[in-house]
Amino acid sequence: MKKVFNLTNLLRLGLTVLVTIVVLNCTTQKYKESTDETLNITEFLRANEEYSLFLEILEVTDYASFMNTYGTYTLFLPTNEAVTQLLSELGASSISDVPLEDLQELAKLHILPETVNTTSFTDGKIPSPSLQGQFLITGAAFIDGQSSITVNKDASIINSNIEVGNGIIHVLDKVLRVANKTLAESIDEDPSLSLFSEALKATGWYDKLDEPVTYDADSISSHLTVLAQTNMVFQESGFNNLDDLKTRYSHLGDPLNPEDSLNLFVAYRVLPGLNYLADLAVTPALLTKAPLEVITVKLSADSLLVNEVTFNGIFEKGVEINRSLSDNTASNGVFHLMKDNFFIKKRFPAPVYFDVGDQPEIRQLSSVFRKPGNSVSLKKSELSEVDWPDDQSLVYRAAAIGDGAYLDRAWHGDVIELTRFRNGFTDPVTFTTPVIIKGKYKVWVSYRQNGRSSPACEVSFNDIPFARRVNFTEYGNTDLPERVLESQGYKRHIEPFTNRFNCRLVGIVDVPTTGRHKLKFEAVQDSRNGETWIDVVEFRPVDMDQLYPKFQSGGDGLIYE
Amino acid sequence: MRTRIIYTLSFLMVLINLSCDSYLDLKPENGTIREEFWQTKEDVQSAIIGIYSSMLNTPPSESDRTLAEYIFMYGELRGDMVSPGGFMTDEQSEILTSNILPANSLTTWSQFYRIINFCNTVIDLAPGVLDNDPTFTQTQLNNYLSEALAIRAYLYFTLARSFKDVPLKLDATLSDQDNFQLPTTPQSDIFAQVVLDLTTAEVFAVEDYESNASNKGRITKNAINAILTDVYLWQEDYDSALASANKVINSGDFALIEASPQWFTTVFARGNSTESIFELQYTTQNLNPFYSIFLQRPQYLAAPTVLESVFGIDFEDPFNKDIRGERASLVPGTNEIYKYTGLNEDQRKSLQESDTHWFIYRYADVLLMKAEALNELGRGSEALDIIADLREKRAAIQLTEEQLGVDDTAGIRLYILAERSRELAFEGKRWFDILRNARKENYAYLDILLTVALRSAPANQQQSIIAKLRDSNSHYLPINENELFTNKQLVQNPFYK
Repeated sequence: MKKVFNLTNLLRLGLTVLVTIVVLNCTTQKYKESTDETLNITEFLRANEEYSLFLEILEVTDYASFMNTYGTYTLFLPTNEAVTQLLSELGASSISDVPLEDLQELAKLHILPETVNTTSFTDGKIPSPSLQGQFLITGAAFIDGQSSITVNKDASIINSNIEVGNGIIHVLDKVLRVANKTLAESIDEDPSLSLFSEALKATGWYDKLDEPVTYDADSISSHLTVLAQTNMVFQESGFNNLDDLKTRYSHLGDPLNPEDSLNLFVAYRVLPGLNYLADLAVTPALLTKAPLEVITVKLSADSLLVNEVTFNGIFEKGVEINRSLSDNTASNGVFHLMKDNFFIKKRFPAPVYFDVGDQPEIRQLSSVFRKPGNSVSLKKSELSEVDWPDDQSLVYRAAAIGDGAYLDRAWHGDVIELTRFRNGFTDPVTFTTPVIIKGKYKVWVSYRQNGRSSPACEVSFNDIPFARRVNFTEYGNTDLPERVLESQGYKRHIEPFTNRFNCRLVGIVDVPTTGRHKLKFEAVQDSRNGETWIDVVEFRPVDMDQLYPKFQSGGDGLIYE
Repeated sequence: MRTRIIYTLSFLMVLINLSCDSYLDLKPENGTIREEFWQTKEDVQSAIIGIYSSMLNTPPSESDRTLAEYIFMYGELRGDMVSPGGFMTDEQSEILTSNILPANSLTTWSQFYRIINFCNTVIDLAPGVLDNDPTFTQTQLNNYLSEALAIRAYLYFTLARSFKDVPLKLDATLSDQDNFQLPTTPQSDIFAQVVLDLTTAEVFAVEDYESNASNKGRITKNAINAILTDVYLWQEDYDSALASANKVINSGDFALIEASPQWFTTVFARGNSTESIFELQYTTQNLNPFYSIFLQRPQYLAAPTVLESVFGIDFEDPFNKDIRGERASLVPGTNEIYKYTGLNEDQRKSLQESDTHWFIYRYADVLLMKAEALNELGRGSEALDIIADLREKRAAIQLTEEQLGVDDTAGIRLYILAERSRELAFEGKRWFDILRNARKENYAYLDILLTVALRSAPANQQQSIIAKLRDSNSHYLPINENELFTNKQLVQNPFYK
């Protein structure tokens, strides 16, 4: 023990130095405290000189701090050149010269509250609005041998999908501008739309198109879509001024009256909702502001055609939308230009005989479709116009001539077969009808009887059930006089008739709009695992003879009285 | 005491010395190393067979799609004949809608370069075996080299058609010290290299392996000439293309089989028919990947328009049909792709017997390529004769027949393209056919490509898709971002900024 305390001075000094070194070394050690070095949006802007002006905008408007917080944002980031160009357009020398409110709106327009990759861009609007409230539209343009993705038509993305800590950045070569004119103002200021604008004013629609966007209780916006037409288009149809329009259309002489045809003429061109062309391209029919009138939209190659339909076998040519001049954004909606004049088609209700087996996909199977002795089972993903909730298959059956079950006696010799029509087995099944003109119709469902099928099936039109149910186990009647039978809600729809088939009047429907609708069959009482065979569904106008023409049994013909 | 310590120490030293030898040995215990491998001609042969084997299925050490799947995706997804099946991944459907990002993992080319490296290894090391194995002859070596050169050329050709400019590596990567930082080589130079390799290979190539499976499953003179025809068409060198195609046709080894219900079984389900030039030989021991991707969990379906607009439907007479359509290429109604899973007109193969080959070149392909060359050389009537003969053999229906004047070059070009879509449906050719025709004469026929895109584009994206496709750089895939990260010499295709 003694020895320990008897250390020489040299040793003591050495020990002190050692201890000091150890202590000093300890303090210099630094630990990394973060796990992720990815920059957030604001930090990214700080780190990259070329975006300093937009950073300045964010700082002036006080958005810089929240763009640095945790979240999922998409920033459309204009370069410094773009901001400088904007300043010169506004006649301002620096950012501080621009009113703060404008800057706030501008900054908010460039920010989306969710992360949107360029892969989800379409030809139309980005599904979620910018923080400013307006939607941004995307597209692509081919300029000087190079293609790039565009935003709001004229700004090109020069660097895309930069991932940062709290979202994603797309770099733009132009600043996006807030649309601050309403539809009415935008249309009015375009001299080539002067006649359309006059019509708007004469019918009182100008004021409605001048209102700012509001949101109702379900937060559905009051955006509108207008299908305008130029003076040139009017002239080609012989309208040189407002008086011509009034003479042709205003049948009540009071354009302000919503029942007046000129008012309807304008109302028919106003669609609720914000519909860019890309939205129109995927929506087959849209309601208009004209009561219960729809326009249909069809995409043919790359042109969009309004009201092109084949009706009862007659092809009606549509009116094309002028693509290059359309998609004009206003503060409360969007307007497009038409290449031709068009108007509500006045149609009278006409009968529709809907052979439920006549589906486009089945028609393609030329060796099966209406070829006796063939059938095919299809899943719902394989049929575009029939739908049911489960994974079972729907059977199309063109029975062999002389079929033991008499299925060949159906009209066209074919039926749709629901293998087990019960919960979990193609129930309920919904068909899309052919085009039906608006009006009142009696609806008849005809089927091949089967004792093990559903004894009570509810039929609905656009989800509104009919009063009567179909009993698929019920035989057809062969002895009552047919008019008496009709009064009881039955008839013999095929000629020659067999009691294996039956036809039931399920009710009267008031078809609200001209177009295609949904017809649903739902088993209220489950089938006893037997097949259900549906032949044809008839929509006959109420004032038409309900018995004739009948259908040729096993053939394609119609049989008149 | 001291001597004891010395003795103990020396004893220990001896022990340590003795054990060092095996303890510090770094050779892998479960593999062969290069120094021990390249000794005999059997080694060279197994290396060659290894190349073919890696073209069939990915080596067990890697988890990657097979080469055939990549060729299918690159060749069909961007065309207009495939639509998404229930099990298509997002990345696949993004290629389908021309919405490709460099992050898309399907743009990884490692499968191609892996096989290229196998080829390079053979080309570099096989000549050394001549010194070690006296029974190995120069002719045998040349035969093997021709196989490696031709496969490498085909892979570079496919890469250049898919990515445009790609790195060109012609020597083997043998150690970590090799330089991996390679810049891209322009597409035209790649094509030139491919032609050089193929013409070299052709001289040494085998004409007959004396076994049908080898003649159809390994590189032969005919296979090389078939690839050459294709490359020459891409180079717009139609005289050479015609010459190469004629070499295949005049070899007399091939003939079209008459239309019959057995045609599908002979040509596709069994394979190695007289119509076949080069196929990947899947067997019941080495199954193809197609059963899962086309049938069990379908990633791809035939586009809904294919049956009607490609093969045509005779609504009057269901028995009047193109033998290549219904139940050969696809199943009507469900639009299932049938070529690789069907056994005959009525039955599919079972999973255990799913051995349908992948068809790289077939005789009809060469015939149609010849027609294309003839047409571009202004010999339209000869081109039309080839098409007419093929259509007769395939019982093509009248609806898809076109009446064209012999000097209607543009019309015949489209007719050949349409006939190719019928003949080579789902064989990984469609997009390359469209692109090859569109880019002729400095993109004079871009319309062909745009019309096709219009047909298949989703309604709400078609305008963007058309605008993007006007930029010729968009016709090629981006370099995957991982490649850009590891190889700083690479420059991304400017379209994918």
